[in-house]
This record gives sequence, C-alpha cells and structure tokens, in this order.
Amino acid sequence: MTDALDMAIDAKGLAHRFGSSVLAVDDVSFAVGAGEIFGLVGPDGAGKSTLIRMLSTVLRPSEGDADIFGASVLHKPAAVKRRIGYMSQRFSLYPDLTVTENLSFFASLRGVPRREIRPRSARLLEFAGLTEFANRQAQFLSGGMKQKLALAVTLIHEPDLLFLDEPTTGVDPVSRREFWRIIAGLHRRGITVFVATPYMDEAERCTHVAFMDGGRILFRDTPTGLKARVPGRLLEVCTKDQRKARALLGPYPWALSVTVLGEVVRLIVALDGPSELEIQALLSSAGVVTQCVRPVRVDMEATFAFLAEEARLDREVAS
Amino acid sequence: MREALRRISAIASKEFIHIRRDPRIMIAVLVMPTIQLLLFAYAISFDVSDVPTVLLDGDRTTASREYLAAYEQSDFFNVVGHVESQKAIDDAFDRSSARIAVMVRPGFGEALARGEKASVAVLVDGSEPNSAQLGQAYATALNQALGRELTFEYLERQAIDPTRAGGITPFIRTWYNPERRSADFLVPGLMVVVIMIVTVQQTAVTLVKEKEQGTFEQIIVSPIRRGELMLGKVSPWVLLGVIDMLVVTLVAIFLFGVPLRGDVLTLGVGTFLFVLCSLGIGLLVSARASSVEVANLVALLISFLPGFMLSGFAFPLHSIPRFLQVVSYAFPGRYMVTITRTVFLKGGSFSILWPEIGALALYAVVSLTLASVLYSRRPD
Repeated sequence: MTDALDMAIDAKGLAHRFGSSVLAVDDVSFAVGAGEIFGLVGPDGAGKSTLIRMLSTVLRPSEGDADIFGASVLHKPAAVKRRIGYMSQRFSLYPDLTVTENLSFFASLRGVPRREIRPRSARLLEFAGLTEFANRQAQFLSGGMKQKLALAVTLIHEPDLLFLDEPTTGVDPVSRREFWRIIAGLHRRGITVFVATPYMDEAERCTHVAFMDGGRILFRDTPTGLKARVPGRLLEVCTKDQRKARALLGPYPWALSVTVLGEVVRLIVALDGPSELEIQALLSSAGVVTQCVRPVRVDMEATFAFLAEEARLDREVAS
Repeated sequence: MREALRRISAIASKEFIHIRRDPRIMIAVLVMPTIQLLLFAYAISFDVSDVPTVLLDGDRTTASREYLAAYEQSDFFNVVGHVESQKAIDDAFDRSSARIAVMVRPGFGEALARGEKASVAVLVDGSEPNSAQLGQAYATALNQALGRELTFEYLERQAIDPTRAGGITPFIRTWYNPERRSADFLVPGLMVVVIMIVTVQQTAVTLVKEKEQGTFEQIIVSPIRRGELMLGKVSPWVLLGVIDMLVVTLVAIFLFGVPLRGDVLTLGVGTFLFVLCSLGIGLLVSARASSVEVANLVALLISFLPGFMLSGFAFPLHSIPRFLQVVSYAFPGRYMVTITRTVFLKGGSFSILWPEIGALALYAVVSLTLASVLYSRRPD
C-alpha cells in the first residue's frame, strides 16, 4: 500500500467515552497527508484534546483505530511513539530541571544516541532561541520560552509527525508569531504538524483545517477551500449599538451570519442581498447610528462563524 | 535491554536532581527520621515525672549527703522518704510507694577522698518499664553530672589532675525484670515505623506529582515501559531508605545504647527488602491517588497506623484481636520489627529469620508488580 506511506494519519471511526455516557469524541474519521500542517479548530470542549491524545497513544480509543504512518495506535503503539512528538496543552516539563536537563532527560528516555544529545540540544536551543537560557530552571522561564522549550523537547528525537495541543494558548502575540515561524520551518523540512488551536488567525497558517464541534469533525478543507464555501460577502458594521444591530439584522434571510467581534458587527450577506448603503439605511431607520459599513475580505474567523451556524441549523433540521 | 537500562537510569538520575534541588526532601529523609525517633522514644519511655523515690544513706558523710541532696532538688525524682535498710526498700517497692531507691554504700566518702571510683546503687522497680526507664536514665544522667562535679571539687582541693582520677560509678540494677530496658525494646521497633513513614510518604507523592505536572503524558509518549518507570522511580529511594536506616541505627546504638548483638548482614538484607516493600506501598498509593494531598494523607494513614498498631512495635501481636492479627500480615512492618528486635537484642541471624526475610522478599515483589500494573499507562 503506497497510499499508507504518504499518509501521516488515517483515523477510522475514533471515539472516546469518559465514564459510560459522555462522548468526548464521536466516530471521527479523517486523513492527514504527510507534510501537511493540519489545523484542528473548534470551541473549548469540542473534543480536540481528546482526539490528539488518542492519536498520540496517550489515551486508548473506546472505539475505532488510527494508523500513524501505517502503524495502528491500538496494536503498535511503540512504533507510533517512535515517529511522533506530542506537546500537551499544559506546560509539561520539570520545573526544577534546567533547560538542558529537561532536554537530555527526554533525549535519554527517547533513546537518542548518547553522543547525539549534546549537538542536537545545542541546535534545538539555537533554533528556539533559548541558547542563553540553557542553564536556567524551567520554572523561571517566561510563558513563551516555556512553550518553545516544550517544543524543543518534543523535537529531540526528530519525529516525523508533531502533535501540538493549543501550543500558543496564553502566550503573548510576539512569541506566538515566533512560535509559528518555527512551525513553518519544521514544515519546510517535511515534518507533518497536527495542531489544535482556538485561534482563527493560526488556522489561516495551516495547509489544511478541520473544524470540530461536539466531538465530531464537521468539515475539513484547505483554508482557501473553506473560505470559498461562504456564499456571500463579509461586511463590517461600525456602531456603538452592536447588540441592537445584531438583533435587527439577524432575522433577514440574506444575513447568513451576524457576529460581534470587538468594536464591530460582522455580517455575511448573501450574494443576492442588499448593498452596503441599503444596509446602512435600514439600520439608521431603526435608530442605529453607524459610522461605517464596509466590505472586508472573508477570513477564517468569519468562515467558521458561518460554517458553525450552518452546522447548527443542519442539526436542528435533522432532529 | 541496553535501551531499557538507559531509560531506567534516565528516570533515576532525574529523581536525584529533584531530590537535590528540594531541600525539603533532604530534611524529610535525613533529619526527620532522627527527630521522629527522638521524639517518639522520649515520648514513649519518658512520659513520667516525679517518680517516687526513697534514699538510703549508708555512708553518712558530707559527700554522701551532698550527693543525695541532688535527688531531692531534681524535678524528676520525688523523694518520698529516707530509709535505713534494704528491707525498707523492699517494703517501699512492694507497697509501690517508691519506684526508685538510691543507695549510697558505706565508704562512699572515703573512696571519693582517695580519688577512687565511689559506688552508688540505684534500684529500679522494673515492673513498670516506663518509670523504670525514666528513673534509670535520669539517675544515670544525674550521676554523671554529679560525679564529675564531686570528683572535680575534691580533686581541686587536693590539687590532683582531674583527668587521672576516678569518678562515681553508678551501679544500676533493674529488679524484677532484669535486662528489660524499654529503650532496647522500643527503639528497634520504632526504627521500623519511622523508616516506613518516611519512605511510604515520599514515594506516594512521586507519581502523582508527575500526573499533576503533566509530565506523565510526556513520559507515556516515550518508549518507556511501566516496569522501567517503576524501577527508575524506586532506585534512588532504595538508596535513601537504606541510608535512613543506617542513620537511625547509629542513633539507636549511640544515643539510646541499644546493643547490636546479631548479624549485621541479615539486618542489611532485611532493611533493603523492607525499604522495597515500603516503596511498593508508596507507589500503590501514588498509582491510585487523585492528588498530591490525597497521596500524602493516605500514605500517612497507611504507614502510621498499621506501623504503630499492627507491627508489634507498641502492642505484642499475640495480644491484639484475632482479626487484627490476620490484618497485620498485610503490612511489612511486623516482619521487619521481628527482624530488628531479633538481630539487635537476641543476636539473631539469617538462620532464624529466614521466614521473615522471605516474607519481605515476596511482599516486595508483589507490591511493586501490583503498583506498576495499577498505574495505568493511559490516564483519563
């Protein structure tokens, strides 16, 4: 099967139950090709972490199976472990060990040849910009540095597939950008990256994106492909009275999605819907003062708002 | 195999770094047992004061009167009377009106005056070991202090070099239960309890901590096996546990004067196995506890209570209810208390103690295996 070789992840009907009833992950099947940056987005509690933990052999699936580079997580976990690196959501290194000690501990645990540990650690620290902190205890690193160290640790045995569970949550914007620069570097070297993230701007940087909610993957595509699914234009309405504007616009059939994002109301208007000027007039006749109604490019944020709404409606229709 | 050893030693050396970086662990492991031993030993054997005492001055010199006056001034002796004969001491003991009698023999003053050792008899009612132990210890202490003072005073008056002269040699004899000093009886048992509390407590925390830190998941995604993880976790503590036992043994011998009559190797092997058992229990707790706090509490309960009640340390095992006797087999303390007492006091060796040693070995294997099985590799 040449197919399986090009396939980094092949999940077949994965499910996980906590206790007897709660389905954290519900019959999930999907494939990730080697070399992709695969983004898993979705709200908290969607089942992203559970899915990642099953794929990285931390958690045993209640049902189904997944092949990682052709090796089953159920039957050949040892083979899977050799190929993957896993970075959990929380910082999970030893706070009282130094940066170097953390690296060489996991290197030994991972069976990195003894003579390789030093040069590899040095390269990774250089790569992550941590060289000058090599002898600092991990607990005294900043949030961003901790995440980079955690990433360096997951790379010490040179895995072909990286699982990153919300790696930049709680990290400042500058460090986030830097972290993604590192991921892009890994991607160029051919490493497959599977990353769960709550940030839509991060989803934009992935080669493929899947949206997960209620334990299911609702759709997956390239970012461009996903955006193309939005059958309308995105408008930003600047107003002080955002809630009223939303309530007013929501019921119109041409308003495909209305959300409040910071200072503005974001509105997806169907292709055959009214123009900006008509919408502005409509709002002001209802007493909502608007400073602007302007078209913007459809982004992931808006795409997911729309697709999530769509999925919700579908489910309502189905039930 | 080579890889497995490497993973085990990676875990072990990491544990050593944790231990080195955390002064609390060092204190808990090396200082606490000694303090606990001292506290327990004194609390248990020295819980009496104002021991009723009678004095017999057979010498009737200034020196003897001065010597006996020290007992009257002490808080620990309650001088209830001065008697004239040994018969009167017997009576006082029989009526339990006195537990200690101090007897100055004729010639006490003269002996001191000649710079020789003067002898004093301290008679202790051994039927109540606690007060007997107390009285004896304080009489000894008092004698040492007084003895030095008396001799020095005298020697200075005579201008003799104090280091070359004798002192007062207390001649102590325990009546009714010769050789049944409570320290000898309690300390070897106490050592076991103390070691158990420390080792169980420390290991109970180690695995839970990995889970709380989230580092456990990182370990899981590595090729390490459960057994390897357990061995790596346990080995530094085996070393510390054995060091612990060594420290406590030295304290017992040099501070409490407990004689070590038997085979040291047997004691060593027993200690090693016992430490393994305690670690096994600790890991069992750790495998199932939901948080560090829970682990601490459970460890304390599971080591402290059975350690005290079911090891034969405080109560002879044949005198506890039958049900508890059966339960006591489930804790390694009883085997180890037998081993320490037999080795220390009876001069026992492997030829007598092999059943206990065997039981500990079996216990160690079972508890460690069970712990690694229970410590599920895939946490929820």
